[in-house]
Amino acid sequence: MFKKLLHSRELTSIVFIIVMFLGVGAINPTFLTLQNIWLCLNSSVVYTVVAVGISLVLITGEIDVSVGATLGMAAAISGTMIRNGQPWGLAIICALLVGLLIGCVNGFGVVVLKIPSIIMTLGINGIVRGLIYVYTDGKWIENIPFDFKLLSQGRLFGTVTFFYLGALILIVLVHLFLTKSKRGRYFAAIGDNIGGATLLGIPVDATKFSAYAMCGVFAAIGGVIFVSRVGFVTPLAGNGYEMKVIAACVLGGISLSGGVGSVIGAGVGAAIMASISRVLIFIGLSSDYDDTITGILLIIIVVSDALLRRRTVAKARRERLSAKTLAYDLEVKGGAGNE
Amino acid sequence: MNKLKKLFVRWESFLVLIIFLEFVVFGTLNSKFLNITRLFNSLNQFLPICIISLAVTFVMITGGMDIQAGSIVGLTSIVVGVLWNDAGLNIFAACAVALIAGGLCGALSGFFVAFTGVQPMVVTLGGSFLYSGLALAVTNMSATEAYQGISNFPEAFRAISKTKVFGVVPMQFVIFLVLVVITYILLHKTNYGRKVFLCGVNQNAAEFSGINSRLIIMSTYVLSGVAASIAGILLTAYLGTAKADLGAEYTLPIITAVVLGGTSNSGGSGGVIGSALAALAIGLLRIGLNLNGLATQYLDIPVGVLLVLVVSFRFAGTNPKLRKFFMKKKKPETVSKVEKVD
Repeated sequence: MFKKLLHSRELTSIVFIIVMFLGVGAINPTFLTLQNIWLCLNSSVVYTVVAVGISLVLITGEIDVSVGATLGMAAAISGTMIRNGQPWGLAIICALLVGLLIGCVNGFGVVVLKIPSIIMTLGINGIVRGLIYVYTDGKWIENIPFDFKLLSQGRLFGTVTFFYLGALILIVLVHLFLTKSKRGRYFAAIGDNIGGATLLGIPVDATKFSAYAMCGVFAAIGGVIFVSRVGFVTPLAGNGYEMKVIAACVLGGISLSGGVGSVIGAGVGAAIMASISRVLIFIGLSSDYDDTITGILLIIIVVSDALLRRRTVAKARRERLSAKTLAYDLEVKGGAGNE
Repeated sequence: MNKLKKLFVRWESFLVLIIFLEFVVFGTLNSKFLNITRLFNSLNQFLPICIISLAVTFVMITGGMDIQAGSIVGLTSIVVGVLWNDAGLNIFAACAVALIAGGLCGALSGFFVAFTGVQPMVVTLGGSFLYSGLALAVTNMSATEAYQGISNFPEAFRAISKTKVFGVVPMQFVIFLVLVVITYILLHKTNYGRKVFLCGVNQNAAEFSGINSRLIIMSTYVLSGVAASIAGILLTAYLGTAKADLGAEYTLPIITAVVLGGTSNSGGSGGVIGSALAALAIGLLRIGLNLNGLATQYLDIPVGVLLVLVVSFRFAGTNPKLRKFFMKKKKPETVSKVEKVD
């Protein structure tokens, strides 16, 4: 169990985030308080929820770049309804249904129409972004009731916000689903080897479709949390989130070619993404360098991971080859001895 | 091969048909659309996308993906601005430096894609963060406030966009046409182009037939970086302002143009002419709808719908449900075969 943990890809990310916190603490000791670290983690809640959703799609080997628009749409819908005094539950359900709908449209395009996933979701991203303008008329949604904004401030024991706690529970649930349940294990199987999965009789299409549907719902949940945290919704809400969230997943060890990685990694990656800008301030750099650092990190982590993996593959191949020749030698010599 | 060629000829003629239809429909709806001067002026804003999509076609033919071109546009623009305004360089020397910088950005990403085997999408995603971040960093070096942008460029530079050949066609459009010809010859008539295609069809086969496939793949990213730089310079000259966030919204239209142009995103097939036509078709669609009273913010809807419709038409055609149905029937056989091999 411990050995398995040691070899997991999430561990690299967890070690990385700890080293980052400690490193910043070494430069600026005022950073290293429990309160600051919880602040970093709590602020990653939107990224975390959306990253969990998109990692389901990534693990099946597809991609979804429409989550940013889905998040914005859900935020716009729930924000408007809550502002207009409708019950919160109804607003949230409506937002989630819209997320589900967008996810299903994506799934339909990828599974039934066989459109390459990046193209389908890119198109849907544009459409939904435009629809947000139609829905909001290009105006900001402000005057969200204070009570709703207060929801994001609620903390358990003064540390973790209820939202982030919910996100953590969500991660655990989805992780258990992906690793322990039969249907959940289909996701990684499809991403690892779609041909093999088809031959084994795994319902590839249905699984991919459900991955997109769930991704849409998670993005919508992210949108609702966004409303509560930010307190207003612009027509551009969630713009660029798709790239940030994909980057978070990659930082957390999920491979875009599918089959590799876990939602725990996605959560850690999201925490890294959200922490970078806050951490920069403590080092004394402007948060303008946020994107630069993210880009450099992303490339370094991914490239070093690829190089390491290539070395292990080469090593395994050498071992296999030498084992084969050994077996051959034994066979030939053994055969000669018997005669 | 001949059959494949025919298909592309058909696809490109389909795009010409779309452009023709756009002229007919928008022309009848609003006669302003047929005013050539006005049309070219509106198209100027879309030309950077057309230019970049030409080079991204190369990348996608090798089976790659480039979502960083938009951020290189901003980087180029601000590099030109800062070098001219704050470093006091000649404006054209600044452009040359910016071109080299764009090429280097492409080369960096291309190197990681080609030599480490990381998925192109991931590398260029990292690249897009990195280069847009660098653009912000360069902005901070300037004395001018970031939100203002650097303006007051010399007339000689602004002339790039103001000069009109034959009094009608803007210089930018001529540059675009020249680039179309150059990239067409490069991709379809030279040895290099054939290697690009082969790398996309089967990289291993390319490697075994003595092609340095990694270098070829890397070179396509350099091309796209340079194209993004050209686009950035033209855009700066056209707008008269250098800003770090120019081109930030280009990713969707670029990929749309390339895919709509008939280039497969898994590599191995496609063409420059298709991309150019598709980019023009999208540009004209946006201009036409805008002229007929649709606000700019809504224009992503029709473009997205067009992309999804056209592409679904194409892919549903190649993957009919019948074929899937037959695959399902054959399944038991294949399973037993696999078992035998084991």
